[in-house]
Amino acid sequence: MKPYLLTAKDAEVGTALPALEKPPVTRMQLIRFAGASGDFNPIHTIESVGQEAGLGGVIAHGMLIMGFVGQALTTWVPRAAITKFGVRFSAITRPGDQITVRGELAGKEETEEGTRVKIKVQAVDQKGEVKVKGTCEALLPRA
Amino acid sequence: MATPEDKKGYTFAPYSGRVEAGKIRELALAIGDENPIYTDETKAKEEGFDAIPILPSFMEVIDMWAGPSFEDLMEQLEIDMKKLLHGEQEYEYFAPVYAGDMIHAQTKVTDVKAKRNGMAIYTLETVYRNQNNEKVMTARQVLVKMP
Repeated sequence: MKPYLLTAKDAEVGTALPALEKPPVTRMQLIRFAGASGDFNPIHTIESVGQEAGLGGVIAHGMLIMGFVGQALTTWVPRAAITKFGVRFSAITRPGDQITVRGELAGKEETEEGTRVKIKVQAVDQKGEVKVKGTCEALLPRA
Repeated sequence: MATPEDKKGYTFAPYSGRVEAGKIRELALAIGDENPIYTDETKAKEEGFDAIPILPSFMEVIDMWAGPSFEDLMEQLEIDMKKLLHGEQEYEYFAPVYAGDMIHAQTKVTDVKAKRNGMAIYTLETVYRNQNNEKVMTARQVLVKMP
């Protein structure tokens, strides 16, 4: 599917971008993510370690949530257009949490190279708790 | 007495790792990112890429599989890993990174701020170059050591 900002060319600053709704995080997903990323910190995969660490069980890798945000970004702008992507981790995600990634067009500037856009993004759970806040900058090619 | 600020300017040993198509696919599957450019070279080429590109947060794979282990990293920074939080992560992209590329990475502690209560905030910056010595990406990571 064509990234949203390539079709909605007239989108103005302040426009809400189509949200990405992820299925609930599962323990199996954390195991797969540990293997894929190479982050084998056992607080993400072994229940007793999460308990002993005072976390009340396993918690998701922050980088998995950054991955969800990265997924949302390429539904809004082409992968090749992304020039900068940063997040701040603000709350723990647990198995069962259902993450929605919301974005807002926060800046737009026409330049000689193309349209430079800035996107503000948030990943929130089913209770509205913000897990990750971030920004992305992208250079959209000329049509 | 040694203070956290002593680590400012500390440079880690460089590391190198190959970007593998299988690891790109594995990461995309773990995240549930269904963008076909990460698994289908034809789709990637339709978007203007020369080959299968990496996900925006893929460099963690090179860091974790080819770089120092987390335990080693914490030992070099003299941080108790149970007290560590990942505060922020940011990437800048200068050129595409593809399956098959060889990445050479170098990480430096660019800032340390110690608070009176024993909390310390470390900023680490990594520069990633490809096999042509082209700077393709940088990363900025903020680690927080709790008191």
